[in-house]
Amino acid sequence: MEIMRLVITGPVGAGKSTFIRSVSEIEVVDTDRQATDETKLLKPKTTVAFDFGRLQFSPNMALHLYGTPGQSRFDFMWDILICKAHAYMVLIPANRPSEFRYARRIINFMEQRAKIPMIIGLTHTDCPGAWFPENMAIALGYPNEKNRPPIITVNATKTGSVAQAVIVLVKQLMLECLV
Amino acid sequence: MLITGQLSEFSLPELFQFLEQGQKTGLLTLNSLQKETKQHYIWFRQGRIVAASDRHDETGLLALIQKRGWINSFPSISSEQLKTTPLGLYFKANNFLQADQLKLLFYTQVMQQVCALFKLPDAEFTFDSNAVIPSLELTGLSSLGAEVTLAGLRALQDWSALQNKLPEIHSALTSRSEGKPTLHLNQAEWNVWEYTDGHVSLKAIAEQLQISIEKIQQIAFRLIVVDLVEELPMMVMSSNSNSSFNSLDLDPIEETQTTNRTNSGLSTAFLENLMSFLQGKT
Repeated sequence: MEIMRLVITGPVGAGKSTFIRSVSEIEVVDTDRQATDETKLLKPKTTVAFDFGRLQFSPNMALHLYGTPGQSRFDFMWDILICKAHAYMVLIPANRPSEFRYARRIINFMEQRAKIPMIIGLTHTDCPGAWFPENMAIALGYPNEKNRPPIITVNATKTGSVAQAVIVLVKQLMLECLV
Repeated sequence: MLITGQLSEFSLPELFQFLEQGQKTGLLTLNSLQKETKQHYIWFRQGRIVAASDRHDETGLLALIQKRGWINSFPSISSEQLKTTPLGLYFKANNFLQADQLKLLFYTQVMQQVCALFKLPDAEFTFDSNAVIPSLELTGLSSLGAEVTLAGLRALQDWSALQNKLPEIHSALTSRSEGKPTLHLNQAEWNVWEYTDGHVSLKAIAEQLQISIEKIQQIAFRLIVVDLVEELPMMVMSSNSNSSFNSLDLDPIEETQTTNRTNSGLSTAFLENLMSFLQGKT
């Protein structure tokens, strides 16, 4: 069985669990537990281990999706997951600029540990106060268009949008030279 | 285009960093949320701060000049003259003001006024990229947002509003630029700068420099928001997480006989099949 491991990461409330749920053919293993810190102001539950989803598209081929917990206290999970990943996606809520700095931190962490294809997915772009993608790119530390990873808009609740996002990532993988 | 928000979510240093990096032109308005609502105006051109005022009637700079008594009676100036010439440069060109006086004016207008804004516990902000920059408020001088940010944060005593923005004590710092920074850093900032190889945590830097960890976090934050360094989280590995890592086997991979593989180890057939499958879902 050939398996691609895709890590979905990002700040709390970016839509990671929702993203995986939208495309997984299996019931996503739910590791949400009651939030106890400032996260509870945002939502009642949060991921405490990692979400897992699967898409088997051929008898011998499958895509495994791993959603990291958003809180930094679980960063050991980020390390475990990213070291075995083929690619990753960072989801960032466009309507919560308070999370942009934290998202940069996650990106720095991941980039240092794994030199693998990455894209940035902007979520909640239809919510009030959402920043435009161009401004978000600058706020995330990518002022130069030529030095940016692909940045796309994603609706984590829609299968089509999620699939489109994964397509962008697959294209990044295909751009790598054949050995 | 308008960008709006609150400083409690996107702090003033981050806002200046964004406007500078994006080379934005326009008007930043701050509406402080204290007992007495007061508005502050900062004009940017190509990411540089060109003027600041606490009034929006284009008389701020004139009031500063008047306060200093440098010009006894203001000459009448046509709007045509000011279309291409900032007021400060007009006065200098016509010998109403000297270069040193202009610099002092700019320092009072921008550095002093704007640095004081870093003390605001919270404010609503609006950045309007369509706003016209009034020539009557311009000295003709400008400053990098980074320079103003450094000055403002160095003077800040109460960091409670920025507490959740500070880098974590187990994070390291990595330099964003090749070579030494061109910004004017103070000695403490230079000392921290020496540790930007990405391997030394802020906690260790504090121990080595014998400075409190809070001060190191504040210095690191200053270096981050002026784009000199990035925060790099470092894991604190406990013995438990170490053994969990070693024993965790996410999924076993069976080697296939496919000859065409990308650098990721995945076969091109795999990626093509996955692409076709996903395209069916869009």
